[in-house]
Amino acid sequence: MIADPLKTQATSKMMDMQLREVAPASAHHEFVLEVNNFNVDYGVGENMVRAVNDVTLKLRRSQVLGVAGESGSGKSTLVYAMTRLLRAPGVISGGDVTLNITNDGDSDEVTPINLVTASEKELRQIRWSHVSIVLQSALNALNPVLRVGREFHEVLKTHRRELTKSQRHARSVELLKMVGLNEDRLARFPHELSGGQRQRIMIALALALDPELVIMDEPTTALDVVTQREIINELNELRSRYGFALIFITHDLSLLIELADEIVVMYAGAIIERAGASELYEAPRHPYTLGLINSFPPMHGDRRELTGIPGSPPDLAELPEGCSFAPRCPYAMARCLHEAPALLNIGDSDRSVACWLHTGDSSVTVPVELSRSSSPSRAHVTVLQDHT
Amino acid sequence: MRSLRLPRSPKVIIGLVIVGFFIIMTVIGPWLAPYDPSSTAFAPLLSPSAHHWLGTTSLGQDIFSQLLVGARATMVVALLAGLAATILSMTVGIAAGYLGGWSDEGLSLVSNVFLAIPGVPLLIVIDSYLPVNSRSNFFVIGLIISLTGWAWGARVLRAQTMSLRNRDFVEAARIIGEKRTRIMFTEVAPNLLPVLASSFLFTVLYSIGAYVTLAYIGLTSTAVWNWGTMLYWAQANNAPLSGEWYWFVPPGICIALVGTGLALVNFGIDEFINPRLRAGGLTARQRRQLGLPRRIRLGLTPVLHASSKPKIVPAHAKLVSQ
Amino acid sequence: MLARRLLLYIVTAWVAITANFLLPRMMPGNPIQTLIGKITNTVTPEEIRAIRLSFGLGFHQGLVAQYFTYLTQLVHGNLGISITLGAPVSSILREAVPWTVGLIGLSTIFSFAIGTFGGALLGWTRGSRLDSLIPTATFFQAVPYFFLATVMLLLFGSDLHWFPVLGAYSPTVTQGWNLAYIESVIRYGELPLIAIVLSSLAGWMLGMRNMMITMIGEDFVLMAVAKGLPRRKVIWHAARNAILPSIANLSLAIGLVVSGALLVELVFNYPGVGDLLLQAVLNEDYPLIQGIFLVITLAVLAANFLADIVYLWLDPRTRTVAAV
Repeated sequence: MIADPLKTQATSKMMDMQLREVAPASAHHEFVLEVNNFNVDYGVGENMVRAVNDVTLKLRRSQVLGVAGESGSGKSTLVYAMTRLLRAPGVISGGDVTLNITNDGDSDEVTPINLVTASEKELRQIRWSHVSIVLQSALNALNPVLRVGREFHEVLKTHRRELTKSQRHARSVELLKMVGLNEDRLARFPHELSGGQRQRIMIALALALDPELVIMDEPTTALDVVTQREIINELNELRSRYGFALIFITHDLSLLIELADEIVVMYAGAIIERAGASELYEAPRHPYTLGLINSFPPMHGDRRELTGIPGSPPDLAELPEGCSFAPRCPYAMARCLHEAPALLNIGDSDRSVACWLHTGDSSVTVPVELSRSSSPSRAHVTVLQDHT
Repeated sequence: MRSLRLPRSPKVIIGLVIVGFFIIMTVIGPWLAPYDPSSTAFAPLLSPSAHHWLGTTSLGQDIFSQLLVGARATMVVALLAGLAATILSMTVGIAAGYLGGWSDEGLSLVSNVFLAIPGVPLLIVIDSYLPVNSRSNFFVIGLIISLTGWAWGARVLRAQTMSLRNRDFVEAARIIGEKRTRIMFTEVAPNLLPVLASSFLFTVLYSIGAYVTLAYIGLTSTAVWNWGTMLYWAQANNAPLSGEWYWFVPPGICIALVGTGLALVNFGIDEFINPRLRAGGLTARQRRQLGLPRRIRLGLTPVLHASSKPKIVPAHAKLVSQ
Repeated sequence: MLARRLLLYIVTAWVAITANFLLPRMMPGNPIQTLIGKITNTVTPEEIRAIRLSFGLGFHQGLVAQYFTYLTQLVHGNLGISITLGAPVSSILREAVPWTVGLIGLSTIFSFAIGTFGGALLGWTRGSRLDSLIPTATFFQAVPYFFLATVMLLLFGSDLHWFPVLGAYSPTVTQGWNLAYIESVIRYGELPLIAIVLSSLAGWMLGMRNMMITMIGEDFVLMAVAKGLPRRKVIWHAARNAILPSIANLSLAIGLVVSGALLVELVFNYPGVGDLLLQAVLNEDYPLIQGIFLVITLAVLAANFLADIVYLWLDPRTRTVAAV
C-alpha cells in the first residue's frame, strides 16, 4: 500500500501530486469496495465464535448492495468489522478489505486503502469523508445533550477545516433541505424530533462530506411503514443525484428490492446467495432466501401468503456439520447434513448460491419454487418512476 | 430468577478474602486477645515488642488486645445497621416502585428527605441526647445508624422494581390473584438480589464509617472497645503528635481494609448488574499470546495475523544465525 | 422539575427543624433537666431562663404552643444561647461558618473536578496499565477522612514541616485584608484541603469511571469514532453524558463529604463548624449542637439545589419535561 496518502487536509493537494507519481498504476477502478475472504470472530481460543465466515464481495461505484439475513446472521458484524468499528470482543481473523478512494478533483485516479492494515490515524481521515454510516436507532446515534446543528458543525470542522462558521452553517442548511427538513431543526435536541426526522438527520449527516460509500444498518427498522417508504424513496433519489455507493443492511428483503442493485443473503456468518436484486427476489435459488421472501409482505404488488422459516437462527457456537441451514431446510438431502456447499456460480450465470440443489449433482431435481426464471420487467428503475 | 454468581475476577477474590478475614476476626478475635483490653496492668506507652505486639496505651493497656476485641463491636454494629437499613430500604423501595401512585409519591418523598439530610450530623444530634447506657447498646446504635443510611438503597430499589413490575412473570402472578405483599416479596424481591446485595454492602460500609466517627468524637460508650474508641483515646492522649503510630495506625488501617474489601466485592456485583463493566471476552494472557493489544481501542477492531503468532525457531537455525 | 426539587428541600428543612424541636423533648431521661442542674453555677439566672424557654421547660405550655414559639424564634434567627460559651449560637456560628464553607466548598470543587477528569480517563483507557490505580483508589475511598487527615498531619506537618498546621492562620499575623494574613490563611488551609480532596476524590473517580464505561457502550460514542473525530472529541462525547449521573448523585455525596470534612477540621483544629461541633458534643452543649446541625443541613440543601440547577443546565431532556 502507498504510505499514508491521507495526511492532513492542508497538505492533501500536495500529497495527491505525490501519489500520482508514486502510483501511476492505480488507474480508474470500477469497484469502490473489495472484500476478500473476510473472517470475523468473537473472542479467541476455546470460546471463540466465528461470526463472519470467509466473505468475499465487491461493490461497484454508485451501486446499492443489499445485505439481508435474520438477526445473528452476521450482517451487521460484517460491516462494523469492515470499517474497524466492531467492538470487543470482536476480532478480525483474516482477509482484506480494500477501499478505493478517489482523489480530490480527479475521479479517474483512485488510491486503494486496506482498512484491515490501516493505522488509527489513516482510519480517522478516511472515516466520514469516504465512508459514513447510519445506524438503526438515530435516537441512540445522536448525542442526547447536543443540538443537532452541533453534530453537523463538528463533522465539517474536523474534515473541512477551510470552511468558515457561516459556510458550515450554510452547508448544514443545504444538507437538511436535501432530506426535506427545515433549517430550524438544527437548533433542536434529538429528543425533540420525531423518529423519521431523526433518521433523516442521520442521513443528511452521512452525506455531509460527499462520501463514496455510505453504510446503513437497518436504518428504517425502527420506523413506521409510511415513514419507511418515504425514506426509501428519498434514498433512491439522493443516490441517483449524488452517486454514492450504498450498503444497505436489513432483514426485510421486500424493502431491498425497492433500492438495491444487487443483494447478498447471509446465514450463520456466510453469504449463501448473491444475485441481482430483482432476480433474487423473483427467482430465489436458496431455500433460505425463499423463506426470507415469504416472511415479509411485498411493498408493491400482490398479496402473498406469509409462511416464514421454521426453526430459529442457529447458535454460532454450535453450528451443525455440513450446510448450516440444513436443520431448518425443507429440501435437505443426505449430502447437506455432512458436506457444506460452497458459494458457486450457477451454470454460466452471474449469480451464485451455496446450495447442493444447484451446485451439486446434476441428477438432483430442483423444486419448482427454486427454479423460476426472473422476468427483467421489474428492475428498480421502473419502481422509481412509480413515485416520481 | 437470576442467581447471583459473582464474576471471578481477582478484585472480587481479594475482596472476599479480606472481608472473610475480618469476619473470622469478629468471631474469634476476643478469644484470641492475649490480655483484657481494659486492664491497666502494664507499663504505659511501651513500644511494640514480643509481649505487646502493638505496644501499650498511656494507661498501660495492651493495644493488640484492643484491636482484636474491638473488631467485634465495629463489625457487629455495622452488620446490624446494614441489615436493618437494607430491610427498611427494601420495604420502602419495593413498595414505592410496585404500588406507584400516591404511595410512591409519599414514600419517595420520605426517602428523598432522608437522602438530603446529612447523615452523620443528624446521627451526632440524636446520639448526643441518648442516655449513656443506650450508647453502649449495639442494637440502639445500629438502628440509629440504619435510620440515616437506608434512603439511598430505597431509591435504587424503587427504580429497579419499577422496571420489573411490568414483566411477564409479575403480570402472571397478578392475574392468578396473588396478594400484593406476596408478589412483592416472592416474585419481585428475588430478582432484585444483585441490587440488594450491592445496597447491603454499601450500607455496611457507610455504617462502619458512621460508627467509627461517633466513637472517635466520644459519642459511644467508652466501656465498649471498638476501633473508633481506640482512635478516640489515641487522639485524646495526643498519640499522633507524640509519634506513637502503633496506637492509632492499626485501627485506622483495619477500618480502611474492611472498607476496601467490601468495595472490591461490590465491584463484582456492579459488573454483574451492568455487563458493560465486565472486561470484554479476552483475558490478558490470550491477548498477549495472540499479539493483540493490551487495551482494545474503540474504533480499531484488532486484527489477528497468522504472522503475529509466536514463531517457533528451530534450534539449529538459531545456531546458524549466531 | 426545579420547583419540585425546591419543594423537596423545603420539606426536608422543615423535617430537620422539627426533628430539632422534638428530639430533646422525646428522649428518655430528660437530658435538658439534667443539664440545667449541672450548669446552674456557671450561667446567670437570666441565661438559664432563656435556655429553659428554648426547650419549653417550666412554662407549662402545650407542645403545639411550644412548637410555634420555637418556630418564631427561628424565623428571627434566634438559635438559642450556647451553654458553655454563654453567647448566642447564631453569633458563634457566624464566625465559624465562613471557614467551613471556604474549606469544604473549595475542596469539594477540587475533588469533583479532579475526580471526574481522572474517572473519565480511567474509563476511557480501561484495560490499560492505569487500571492498577483502581485498588489504590478503593483503599483511599475506604479510609476515614479523619484518619487520613491525622496521618497527613503527622507526616507532612509535624515530621517534614512542609505545611503549617493547627489553626487556620498563623498566630503572629493580624487578621484583616492584609497580604500576610491572606497568605497565611492559604498556607494553613492547604493540608486540610489536600486531606479532604484525597479522601473524597476516589468516590467521584470510581463513579465516573463506571459511567464512562457505560457511556462508551452507547451508539453515539461509536458514531463519534465513525465520524473520524479526534480522540479527545470522542472522549468528550462520552464524558459529557457520563458526568450527568455524578451530578445527580451529588445530594448523597455532598452529605458524606461534609460529614467527613467536619472531622478533618477537628484534626487540624481548624476554627470551623466541625471543631465547634466536637466541643459542643464534649460539653453537651445542646443548643449549640442543634444550631450547628441546622446550619449544616441548610447548607447541604442549598448545595443540592445548586447541583440541581447545574444538572438542569447540562441535560436538555429534563428541561423539556419541565416545559410540558
